[in-house]
Amino acid sequence: MASVTLPQTFEAPATPTTLRLARREQLMIGAHIIAALIALMFGIFMGPFQTFHRSPTFVQYFPTIPIFTFYYQAVTAHGVMNALFFTTFFIIGFSYFVTERTLQRPIKSAAMGWAAFVAMAVGLGMMLFVLLTMPQQSAVLYTFYPPTIAPAMFYIGLVLLALGSWLASANIFLTYRDWKREHPNERVPLAVFALIVNFIVWCVATIGVAIEIVFMLLPASLGILKVTDPQLARTLFWFFGHPLVYFWLLPAYVSWYTMLPRQAGGKLFSEPLARVAFIMFVVFSVPVGVHHQFSDPGISASSKGVQTLLTLIVSIPSFMTAFNVGAALENAARNRGAKTLFDWPFKQKWNDPVVAAQLSGMLLFIAGGFSGLINASAQLNATIHNTSWVPAHFHQTLGGAVTLTYIGILYWLLPAIRGRALFSKKMALAQVFTWLIGMTLFGLAMGEAGLQGVPRRALTSQSPYLSPAGAFWLDVTAVSGIILLISSILLYANIIGTLFFSRRPMPEGEVPIETVSGDRTSPLWFERWGIWLGLLGILLLIAYGPVIAEVLDFQLGWNILRYMPTSNAPMP
Amino acid sequence: MEINKLERYWLIAVGITLGAFVAATIVAVTVFGIRLPAPVERIDPQRLDQTIFAKPGVRKIADNRYEAVIVAKSWAFDAGPEAGTPAVLRFPRGSQVTFYVTSKDVMHGFQIEKHTLNLELVPGQVARASTTFNRPGTYHIICNHYCGAGHQVMYGVIIVE
Repeated sequence: MASVTLPQTFEAPATPTTLRLARREQLMIGAHIIAALIALMFGIFMGPFQTFHRSPTFVQYFPTIPIFTFYYQAVTAHGVMNALFFTTFFIIGFSYFVTERTLQRPIKSAAMGWAAFVAMAVGLGMMLFVLLTMPQQSAVLYTFYPPTIAPAMFYIGLVLLALGSWLASANIFLTYRDWKREHPNERVPLAVFALIVNFIVWCVATIGVAIEIVFMLLPASLGILKVTDPQLARTLFWFFGHPLVYFWLLPAYVSWYTMLPRQAGGKLFSEPLARVAFIMFVVFSVPVGVHHQFSDPGISASSKGVQTLLTLIVSIPSFMTAFNVGAALENAARNRGAKTLFDWPFKQKWNDPVVAAQLSGMLLFIAGGFSGLINASAQLNATIHNTSWVPAHFHQTLGGAVTLTYIGILYWLLPAIRGRALFSKKMALAQVFTWLIGMTLFGLAMGEAGLQGVPRRALTSQSPYLSPAGAFWLDVTAVSGIILLISSILLYANIIGTLFFSRRPMPEGEVPIETVSGDRTSPLWFERWGIWLGLLGILLLIAYGPVIAEVLDFQLGWNILRYMPTSNAPMP
Repeated sequence: MEINKLERYWLIAVGITLGAFVAATIVAVTVFGIRLPAPVERIDPQRLDQTIFAKPGVRKIADNRYEAVIVAKSWAFDAGPEAGTPAVLRFPRGSQVTFYVTSKDVMHGFQIEKHTLNLELVPGQVARASTTFNRPGTYHIICNHYCGAGHQVMYGVIIVE
C-alpha cells in the first residue's frame, strides 16, 4: 500500500489497528455509543412489559403492570427509541470508527461530527420529553400515520435526528472522497464500501419521510394545516420505512463480512461478490416500500405486483451473504479441526460472546428471512397483514440479527471506549443465549398468534374478540418476555459494570479491521456510484412513479393533480 | 472477477426459489382469483352523508350475493342500526359478500378472521373486497390498525348460518 501522510490534526493510535482508542476517538465514538445505549434503555425494557400487557393470563394475575401503564405509550417508546434513535446513534458511531480505522484517517470534519451529534442528541431529548410527559397525545407509534397527530416536539425531534444523520453521512462521504483522491487506483476496503452503500440508501430513503414530516405532519401539528391525505403520508412513510431496515442491517453485514471471519478464525470466501451484494442493495433496497401497503385501497394491484417482484429480488444479496459468510465460518471451523459435513456449525467459538452474539443473530435471521419472503408474497400477506406475525418477523430480523450483532460489536467496542475490560464475559454469554432463546420463542408465539388472527399493537388482554388459541399464544409470548427481560437486565448490568465498576485493564488486542482491500479482481468501476444511483433513479421512476400518480389521483387534463397533500381528511 | 462453482450453484438455487415464489403469486392471481385491494373511489370523510356510506348496512343483490357497506369510526364498525353495536352481520352459508368500507376519522383496519380479507381503511379512500363464507360459524371483524386508546375493543361479528 502507498504510504499515507496523516494530517497533522490526526492523533494516530500507537499502531493503526490497536483496539486502544485515541482520546479524540474515545470522545466522538463514545458519545454516539452512550447516546445509543440511553435510547436503547428507554426502548428495550418496554418490550417485555408489552408482552405482559397483551397476555390475558398475565393481566389476570398481575392487574397492575409497572412501567408505562398506558400500553400504547410503551409501544410508541419501544419503536421510536429502539428503531429510530438507538439504531441511528449506534450506526453513526460505529461507522465513524470503521471509516477512521479502515482508511487510517480522521473523519473529514470533527466540528461537523459534533454538530451532527448535538442535533441528534437534542432530538433525543425532545423525543424523550414528549413521550414521558404527554403519553396520550404522543402515542402515535413509530409509524406516526396521520390523521392521528402528535405534539410538534415529536416531529421536531425526528427532524433533528434526520438532519444530524445527513451531516454524519456527508462527513463519511467526504472522508471517502479524500481517501479516493489519494488512492485513485485502489479498491476501497470492503467495510467502507459497504458503509458508503448504507449511507446512500439512508440519504435517498429519508427524503420520503422528510417530505412527509416537513410538509404534512409538522404543519398539521402546529395547526397550520387542518386537513391531510393519509394515503400519501403512508406512501411517503414506507418509501423510507423499508429501506430503513437495510440501514440497520448493512452495518451488521459489515461486521459479518469484514470482522467476523477474523474473529471466528477464518477468511472471507469472496470479497468481490460481497461488493456485488452491496451494490444490489443500492439499487434494489429503496423501491420496495409498497409491500407494506398491499392492503391499502389507494394503490393499484399492478403497482403492488411490481414491488412484490422487486422485494423478492432484494432478498438475493442476503442469500449471497448467507453463502459467503457461511463459507467463511466453515473455513474458520475447518481451521479449528472440523472434519465432517455437518460439524462446522458446532466448532465455532460459541464461548466467545462477540462471536456467539453474531452467530445467534444469524440463526434468527434465517427464520426472519423466510418469514419476510412470506410477507412479500402479496396474497399470503392478506392473511398476516397487521397481525402479530409482522412483529414476529421483524423481531427475528431487527431484534435478532441486527440487535445481536450490535450487541456483539458492543462487547468489544464498549471496553475499548472505556479503556477497561468487559465487566463479565460469562454474563455476556448468558445474555446472548437468553436473548436467542427468548427471541426464538417470541417469534414462534407471536407468529402463531398472528396466524390465529391476533392483531399487532393492540392491548389484546382487553379484546372481546380474542380466541382461546390466540390467548394461549399471547401467554406464551409473555413467557418469552420474561426471558428477554432477564437478558436485557444482564445486558445493562454488563454495560454499567464495564463503564463504572470494571477494574481490570483492557486486554491488548487488535480491531478486526482490514486496512487494505484483499480484493484484486473486482472492477474499479464498482466505485462509480453515479452508475448505481442512476439505476436506482430509473427503478424508482418505474416502481414509484405510478404509485405517486395513483395516490395523488393524477389525471391528464386541466386538473392534473386532483388531490394535493392538503386533501380532505380532517385532524381529530 | 470470477464466481466460484459452488457459489454459482447456490445462486441458481436462489433463483429457482424466488422463481417459485413469483410463480405462486401469479397462480394465486390467475387461478385462485385472489386480488389485492385497488383504487375504487375517493370520498370526503367529512361528507359521508352524500355517499353510499350515508346508510351503512347489508343489501342482497342476487341469490347468495350481498353487499355490505360499513363505516369504521373510533371505536366501532357501523353497519347500520339493524346490525347494532358491536355490529353483527348474518349471512347464509355460501354467500359471496362484497364489502365497501371506509373510515370516518383516523386509520383503521378491517380483517375477517380465517379469511383472506384484510383491508387498510384510509380516510378519504373507499376500500372494497369480496369473500365467500363457506363454513358456518362466528367470525370476528378485527380492527388491526392502531386507532387510539380504544383500539383493542373495536370489532364486529359475522355469523354464517
